[in-house]
Amino acid sequence: MLQYINVNIDGAIIHATKGTSVLDTAIEYGICIPHLCHVPYLSDIGACRLCIIEHVVNGRSNVTTSCTLKVEEGMVIMTSTDKIRKLRRNLAELLVAQAPNSRAIQDIALRCGVKEVRYPFRNEDCVLCGRCVRVCTEVWKARAIGFVGRGKERHVDFPFGIRPDFCKRCESCIQLCPMTITPCDGPMKPGKERLCGNCESQLIIAEQTPGSCVWCKLGEGFACGRYV
Amino acid sequence: MSRLNSFRELEHLRQQLREQRQNITTTVMVCGGTGCQASRSRAVIDAVSDELSRQELDMRVRLCVTGCHGFCEQGPVMIIEPGNVFYCHVSPEDAFEVVYQTVMKGEIIERLLYTDPVSGKTVRIMSEIPFYRAQDRQILSQNLNVDPCSIEDYIVAGGYSALARVLTSITPEEVIEEIKSSGLRGRGGGGFPTARKWSESRAVPGDEKYVICNADEGDPGAYMDRCVLEGNPHLVLEGMMIGAWAVGARKGYIYVRNEYPLAVKHSRIAVEQARGLGLLGDNILGSSFSFDVDIARGGGAFVCGESTALMASVEGKVGEPRPKDVHTALDGLYHKPTTLNNVETWANVPSIILNGSSWFASKGTQGSKGTKILALTGRIKNTGLVEVAMGTPIRTVVFDIGGGAINGKLVKAVQTGGPSGGCLPVDKFDLAIDFDVLYEAGSMIGSGGMVVMDEETCMVDVAKYFLTFLQDESCGKCLPCRLGIDRMLEMVTDITDGRGRPEQLDLLEELADTVSQTALCGLGKTAPNPVLSTLRYFRPEYEAHIREKKCYAGVCKALITYSIDPDKCNGCGVCLRGCVYGAITGSKKQAHVIDAQLCQKCGICRSECKFDAIQVV
Amino acid sequence: MPPQTLDQILEGRRSQPNQLIEVLQDIQGDYGYIPKEVMQSVSQGLGIPLIEVYRVASFYKAFRLKPPGKNVLTMCMGTACHVRGARLLLDQATVQLGVKQGEVTPDGLFSVEHVNCLGACALGPIVSESGSYHHHMTPTKLRKLIETLRHQKTEAHQNV
Repeated sequence: MLQYINVNIDGAIIHATKGTSVLDTAIEYGICIPHLCHVPYLSDIGACRLCIIEHVVNGRSNVTTSCTLKVEEGMVIMTSTDKIRKLRRNLAELLVAQAPNSRAIQDIALRCGVKEVRYPFRNEDCVLCGRCVRVCTEVWKARAIGFVGRGKERHVDFPFGIRPDFCKRCESCIQLCPMTITPCDGPMKPGKERLCGNCESQLIIAEQTPGSCVWCKLGEGFACGRYV
Repeated sequence: MSRLNSFRELEHLRQQLREQRQNITTTVMVCGGTGCQASRSRAVIDAVSDELSRQELDMRVRLCVTGCHGFCEQGPVMIIEPGNVFYCHVSPEDAFEVVYQTVMKGEIIERLLYTDPVSGKTVRIMSEIPFYRAQDRQILSQNLNVDPCSIEDYIVAGGYSALARVLTSITPEEVIEEIKSSGLRGRGGGGFPTARKWSESRAVPGDEKYVICNADEGDPGAYMDRCVLEGNPHLVLEGMMIGAWAVGARKGYIYVRNEYPLAVKHSRIAVEQARGLGLLGDNILGSSFSFDVDIARGGGAFVCGESTALMASVEGKVGEPRPKDVHTALDGLYHKPTTLNNVETWANVPSIILNGSSWFASKGTQGSKGTKILALTGRIKNTGLVEVAMGTPIRTVVFDIGGGAINGKLVKAVQTGGPSGGCLPVDKFDLAIDFDVLYEAGSMIGSGGMVVMDEETCMVDVAKYFLTFLQDESCGKCLPCRLGIDRMLEMVTDITDGRGRPEQLDLLEELADTVSQTALCGLGKTAPNPVLSTLRYFRPEYEAHIREKKCYAGVCKALITYSIDPDKCNGCGVCLRGCVYGAITGSKKQAHVIDAQLCQKCGICRSECKFDAIQVV
Repeated sequence: MPPQTLDQILEGRRSQPNQLIEVLQDIQGDYGYIPKEVMQSVSQGLGIPLIEVYRVASFYKAFRLKPPGKNVLTMCMGTACHVRGARLLLDQATVQLGVKQGEVTPDGLFSVEHVNCLGACALGPIVSESGSYHHHMTPTKLRKLIETLRHQKTEAHQNV
């Protein structure tokens, strides 16, 4: 039996299903909160921090991730305050400076309002979003890959770096990986990285109708909850 | 000794043990803590033990191997009662003299006495040593006279009477009320009101609850918890038992970091001994309270000092923190209500029960009650563990207890609270040691680490040091911590290497602010503090590195040059022979010269030169 | 204490995943590192997926995945040791031995590691070697210590 409760997101009173996260609720109702590591059918780990919102409790507002926050009766959430937008923009700036060689990452940066990148570009091919690890662990239960190492050394790998025979090459990990989506103008070679800033649908959400779902291509290729 | 089945039996045992020791006239206490062991105190202990046997004094003289007394640089440390005689730097060869002169004849051996570096005079009595005199050693003084591996010592000293009182006449709710009135706040760094945490756990229905002692003590430069756990594990156990009674837990864990093998060993022995007497297990002292404790070892991860990461580690998993939208007091270890407190917090509990909450609350300030143990280290004369009442000004600790700077240098700053804390300049030394006061000033008490820095410490280098540490220890899960610390470190490294640009200072502040607001756990949230506090109080140093490309403290290798002062150099050649890079030339008795191109600034020549002729500019 | 066999280490802990870190601690203590085959046996013995064992072994600094040198020099990099020049000691060791941190010298005699505070802060800077703490170290003293250790091992080899 589904129970419903009322939550206040950006001033709108929403009829939310008890037990869901604030992020899932917002997406379902067409409020676009940027996210990277969230996939509707996988667990939420709150790693990318892009889905942060302000949760107002007793007159104080706490910045927390909407994917790990469960809805509660009477909750007050603000997804797009100036503070949140600035924080998100800085996070997305860090992200795109780290791994610019992906259309998904470039689109996210544009969506979050990144206009300039003030750090030297790097050209990493993994953003440690954990989508691959979670799909292998939770959907296929193969446990062929996982996070290994700590901090700067953290990376995704097979046990001992060797593909085990219980990896059946289902390629679910590849399908969910944001780094496999090539930039529109082709792959960015080392030394030639830049902030792309071209995608129209992302510009629309970022500037014209902030916070509203426009059924963008990013979401389509990205397993966004609106599509799944 | 057999299992104690009631409070009366415990008192009877205590009486018995005290009577057995009636014939002891003298007690010789030798420190067996990690610090003194590094100074070979084990050999001293063996030598004294042999000597006492040889003189057939075993019946009248008690040799007690104690835990740390906090004055590690003076080790091996020996204290003799009666008389409160304090001997330092004792070597095994001194054993005969100590036993023959002091123990048997009551005569003082002058050369073993402590010399006060400020007055130049020797001091005979421990309580009169300036380092100890200005302290209020409520917890640390309990390390005297107690062998951590002897539950008998603990009982003779009055141990487990708080537990007995609680089990026979105080309800769990009353215990929590007492802790609340005392004003006890967490000593691990968070400063969270202890009673509030306990009542949150108590309120959850169900009988599967846990209490945990956080002995991870990852803050570099902090070793208070090591001292208390190594030196008096039963005190911590007793505190945990009282807490378990209050919240309704039946199982507890002491999580000890991997780098403290002696603390692990002593905790295990203490638990075994407590079980042997029935003080852990079913129906403790004949009451309805059943409780047991296990020791869990850390694996070498600073992040495991964070409560959710610690619990993951106890569960055998990687120490990756979880979001804390729900308190661990409600949903913690194995998703059960868990009360996690620091070693020092637990250690305060028995005396609050015995002496009353008003006694505890009579010390300290409005918002911070009781005493706090600090690890005072760095560039001062007296380093060691210091316990002071909350509200004591920083100045008192650094100058009255610490004795001021070494080598005639000027004290520049004090770093408190470890990697989550900040640096405060000398003009802030009138601030009181108080949770809220230090937090307002941009630092924090943290776990109690207090590192004093002088004019030869570069504050930009300090920020770089902490960022390097945090990058090494970050679990890497969340973006702001993993990438944010990396980029902050990249910028600070640019600055120390002479590539700094003025706009980087503003970007540093903006990034620091972003990381502190968006990181998943405490490590990430407080990671920017060293950068923010050094920028706040020592911005001119950053600017000198950027605009003038100079490190006036003489630390940042890219910005300094080693050279020899021809007026001080007498051509002894020691530095020339010591230099592995062949960077020093010169003939005998002639002033030597360093070739700046070959010099790698390794520091060997400087540490060798007896004439202070090596300059760093 | 003589080293235990893997069976002895796993005894009483089989099928208990929460014992993973304790088991790895014992293995590290006895073998000096966690060999690949041992990880596989632990995975089976405790009922934990192999990737998870590998993950835990690679996360915690206490566990080495490769055999260390005969002498492991561990520099304390705590704050108190740092302000007393611990950085210079690390530079000294890596340059003198020609290895980076975590690596073993080609002759297998030395490896250099660091630890983030041993808790003996009043005695810093500290270099730990086979469990003994050398305190108040300077680059010169460290150079002599390394030479002494190198000499001891060569003599021992010659005597054999």
